[in-house]
Amino acid sequence: MKLDTANRTLPWDWYPGTIPSNVSADESAYLETSYSFLLYRSELPEGIRIGRASSTYLGTMFDVGPQGRIRIGDFSCIHGAWFICDSEISVGDYALISWNVVFMDSYGVSTDPAERRKQLEALAFDDRRRMARGALAKPIRIGRNVWIGFDCVVLPGVTIGDGAIVGARSVVTEDVPPFTIVAGNPARVIRQIENDELTQTN
Amino acid sequence: MSEIATLEPGRWLDGKLPENVTLGRNTIVRGDLAFKRFQSQKQPALVVGEHCTLDGVHFALGENAKVEIGNYCCFSNAVLLCELELRIGNYVVIGWNTTIADTDFHPISPAQRIADAVACSPLGKNQKRPPIVAKAIIIEDDVWIGPNATILKGVFIGAGSFIEPGSLVTRDVPPRSRVQGNPAQVISTV
Repeated sequence: MKLDTANRTLPWDWYPGTIPSNVSADESAYLETSYSFLLYRSELPEGIRIGRASSTYLGTMFDVGPQGRIRIGDFSCIHGAWFICDSEISVGDYALISWNVVFMDSYGVSTDPAERRKQLEALAFDDRRRMARGALAKPIRIGRNVWIGFDCVVLPGVTIGDGAIVGARSVVTEDVPPFTIVAGNPARVIRQIENDELTQTN
Repeated sequence: MSEIATLEPGRWLDGKLPENVTLGRNTIVRGDLAFKRFQSQKQPALVVGEHCTLDGVHFALGENAKVEIGNYCCFSNAVLLCELELRIGNYVVIGWNTTIADTDFHPISPAQRIADAVACSPLGKNQKRPPIVAKAIIIEDDVWIGPNATILKGVFIGAGSFIEPGSLVTRDVPPRSRVQGNPAQVISTV
C-alpha cells in the first residue's frame, strides 16, 4: 500500500477519502480505493491488517463495528466482498474471493421482532443513520488457499477449511471441511479434492 | 411534542424528488441512482412513511407501478423492480443486494417473446409490448430480509418473518416463519 503517509490517501484513488489510522497493510499490498472504508468504524488499535501482496478491489466494503477486527493473509485477492464484522473475520493466505460475496459475522439486528423495533427507532434518530448492531456476533474463519465464487453469503460462526472451494451463489451455513467443494443454498458438500499442495511444484 | 414539531420533512439527499413521490417526516433516501429507472406515472407512485432510512435503493418503477412503504423501515442497496404493486409494512429491514420483483419482465410464450424483444429494441419505439404477468407483492410488518435475497412476484410475507440471506422466495411465507434456500423453505418459526 503505497500511502501518501502524510495524509493517508491513495495516490490513484477516485474517492476523496483516507485510509483510517488503525488500518495496516503491508507495503506490497494493493488497495484500490478508500471508498471501501465508508462504513468502517472499528475502535480497536488495529482494526484491519492486510498481509503481503494481498489486494482489495472496488466493491469491497469494510462494514466493521467498533469492536470488529479483520485479518487478511498474504497473496489474497479480495475482488469485491462485503465484510459485516462485529467480532472477527479472518481470511488466510492465497484466498480468492469473488465479487458480491458477503461475510457476515452477525445478523446485525436481533432476530426478535420487538428488539428490532427498538433498533429501528434508535436508527431514525441517529445523526449518521447507522444501525447500532446488537446481535450476537460469531467469528468467521476462512482458511488458507480458499476459493469463494461470486454472490456467496457466509453466515456467522462459519469456518471454511484450507483448500476448499465454494461454488458461486452458495449460502454457507455450516463449517466446510478442508479440501472439499461445496455449493448450493444452503451449501452442501459436492466432493473432496486431493491435496496436491506438497506433491506439485509451482 | 417539541421533538415531533422539529422533525424534518422527508428528503432525497442526492437530487430532486419526482413530483409523484411522497416521503414522510424524518425519512431519508440516499444514493445517486435512486430514481434513475423511475418511470411511474401513477399519482402518487411511491409513498414512504416516517422515520425510514433508505440507503442506495433503486426504485425501478414501471409506468403503472405503485409502491407503499410504512414507517421505521431500513433498506440498504435493495433493488425494487415494480410494474404493478408492492406494499411493505412497518419496521421492515432489507439487506444489501436484495432484489424484489413483482413481474416476469417478459412473456413465457416464445412468439410473444420475439414480439417483446422487437418492441424493446431501438427500432420498436412505437410498438406496444405484449402482456406480461405481474402480481402484487405484500410484505407485512416486522419482516427481516437478509442480504442477496430475491423475492418474486405474487409473494406474501407474513408479519415477523425472517428471510435468511441468499434465499429465493417463490411462494407465500406464513407469519413468524424463518425461511432459507433456493427455493426458500420454512426451516423454523421465529
